[in-house]
Amino acid sequence: MLSGIAWSAPEDYNFSEESKLYTKIADIKLNTTRGEVMLSDLYVKSPVILTLIFTRCVGICSPFLNSLSEDMDNLNAKENYKVLVISFDPLDEVSDMERMAKRYEREDDPQWVFAVTDNIAELNESIGFYPVWDSTRQQYDHDALLVGINENGYIVRKLTGIRGPDALMGVIREINNEFVLSYPLPRENMIFSCFTYDPATGKKKPSLGLLILVLPGILTLLMIALLSLKKQQQSVGNG
Amino acid sequence: MITRSLKRITSVWIITVLVLFVTAIIFGITMRFNQGKDLTMSPVGFYSLMTTHGITMIGIWAAAGLVAVNYLLGRYVKVSVSLNVFAFVTTVIGVLMIWATTFIGKYHAGWTFLYPLPLQVAWAKWATPVFLFGLGILGAGWLIWSVGMLLQILSKYSLKQAFAWQHFSKNPAVETPPLVLISTVSLIGIIVSLLTAVILLVLYFLEYFSGGNFTNDPLLMKNLTYFFGHTIANESLYLGLAAVYELMPESSGRPRFKTTWYVALAWNCTLVFILTAFFHHLYMDFVQPVGFQMIGQLASYFASLPAAAVTAFSVIALVYRGRIRWSLTNTLFFIGIMGWLIGGIGAVIDATVSNNMILHNTLWVPAHFHTYNAMGNVLFCLAFFNWVAHEFAGTQASVKSFRLTTVLLLIGGFGFVLMFYLGGAYSMPRRFSVYPQEFTHAAILASLGAWFATVYLVAIVLIFANIIKKCLKVFSPSFSS
Ligand code: HEM
Repeated sequence: MLSGIAWSAPEDYNFSEESKLYTKIADIKLNTTRGEVMLSDLYVKSPVILTLIFTRCVGICSPFLNSLSEDMDNLNAKENYKVLVISFDPLDEVSDMERMAKRYEREDDPQWVFAVTDNIAELNESIGFYPVWDSTRQQYDHDALLVGINENGYIVRKLTGIRGPDALMGVIREINNEFVLSYPLPRENMIFSCFTYDPATGKKKPSLGLLILVLPGILTLLMIALLSLKKQQQSVGNG
Repeated sequence: MITRSLKRITSVWIITVLVLFVTAIIFGITMRFNQGKDLTMSPVGFYSLMTTHGITMIGIWAAAGLVAVNYLLGRYVKVSVSLNVFAFVTTVIGVLMIWATTFIGKYHAGWTFLYPLPLQVAWAKWATPVFLFGLGILGAGWLIWSVGMLLQILSKYSLKQAFAWQHFSKNPAVETPPLVLISTVSLIGIIVSLLTAVILLVLYFLEYFSGGNFTNDPLLMKNLTYFFGHTIANESLYLGLAAVYELMPESSGRPRFKTTWYVALAWNCTLVFILTAFFHHLYMDFVQPVGFQMIGQLASYFASLPAAAVTAFSVIALVYRGRIRWSLTNTLFFIGIMGWLIGGIGAVIDATVSNNMILHNTLWVPAHFHTYNAMGNVLFCLAFFNWVAHEFAGTQASVKSFRLTTVLLLIGGFGFVLMFYLGGAYSMPRRFSVYPQEFTHAAILASLGAWFATVYLVAIVLIFANIIKKCLKVFSPSFSS
């Protein structure tokens, strides 16, 4: 009973980097600091790295945008892309976003776009991003999320958390249609993986999946051993 | 002993295999013409046909090998006809179910049904479970049949004798015929691969019916898929080789091949290495541990080289300066050995990691596997069919009348695979229903490939016509065994 309550707690949010992958992002109207545009107007010209924040955030948003901005400068990537920062807080207005752009010295940077929208629920749903309002702290509980959108409007990569330049470069390359290696993370309902990864030690350990892989060989060996043993017993009996 | 009922069921198998073969070749030619833009199919139509073609071809030539070995084992051990009939029935049911999914349900995940494709339903909903069930029924029938044959070998030969280990010492008391040795090795491989298929299907069904509560690990599923697929395709070839060892000297009027220590060693090595060679299908899977990739490359060399070396040596010794009585049977065996070796070299080139970086999933892959199948194993089995048909009819294989057939087979067969090799050498991708414009020569190569394949088809129809009349004789009331 207790576990049932724990599992179904509405405060749970989904950290999966795979949900909504390879699906199309909602094509919503954006109010940017430079005027109104549709989201598709942006991504058809150049693929987009989208991040969702809110200006009143006292938590992850500032360090997240800080590191994103620094990493972008350090990477100085030649690929074609835009960084789109959208507020998911209905109380935020374009003027708030202008202030935010100034804070990161991106107000005149054509590669960065800051925007609010009236259709945030539709956008969130299409991404699989579900911030939860905490009335005690008067803050949203949400993860730091980067979404890579290609020039056809498909979500091709998601990154949660502050992840550093390598992961960011992966997103940039992926939205520019380069092949980037990725593998789904082991999940609770995936009991037969070949290896398990222990984040504490950073080591991989052989797991149940490997046993399954050698099972046909073991079963065949056992069968042959049994058959020839039976034959030996028979010939001893006959002799 | 070879009984009349064994002859009858063998005859039924041969006719069924040949009918399905001609049909599947027509599917293949249609695909190649589509790639050559000589006709236009929808992508779904192309991939449904590709799935049917692949699974039918792999299935019928594995079955043909089992049929040949089952028949020829009858010379040394008591064989079960009822298991043979049982396998035939499960095969027919399996094939009908699978064809229904591809033609009616438009299922088109390729013959390898690589995870997670079958679960990403882009066809009739019922097609995925029916395809998997169809495979399950077919596999179960063959598994029981193969275990039965192994049991029959072990009821006469001890385990050591079946593996010919006594040949490692001087003057062994008992000689293991090459047919028995190669059949033991290949049947064990087939059993392992079919057990792998059972596990694979169980995992698919677990995920399919779990409603999202159980997810498979893609790496495990890919390993299992190729453990099954690669192994069964390779072992089919070795079943065909068992027939070569048994019948080529006999049909050439030469003394039969003997098992020596090096023949025994080569085939024992083959057993070990063939079961680990499949790792070469996962070179591009960066999450696969590097150790497995190394095993994949080494096992690919060691699985093919020893068996190829001793077989080539034995066949050259047989043919060189010998007075050979050439007939369609031993000509097919001889060309088959050439095709097997050429395809094998193509395969070893691709299984070398540095080359695979360039050739992976290009037309080089269908090039090499079509060479050792269409111009290798298929010819071994057709040679057996031709030999056994003459046995049924009580006639001698004619020495002259097969010249046209041989020429058509050589031109058609090698021309067809050459077009694939050229495509592969130019990095043209495999499994494309139409090629991107950047590959300027892809369509013309495909078109030429289709025409060569048509020539090959004519040769096959000529062989078929020759065999079928004789096979039908076993059903006449006057037929005496
Ligand atoms: C002359 C006769 C044949 C023709 C014209 C033919 C044609 C084709 C073509 C056009 C493809 C698709 C190639 C690609 O673009 O990837 C293909 C695939 C294939 N063929 Fe054949 N083929 C023939 C004989 C055979 C034989 C004898 C086998 C025996 C085992 C075979 C097994 C396969 C398999 C397993 C595939 C792969 C299917 C997949 O990728 O799912 N074929 N064939």
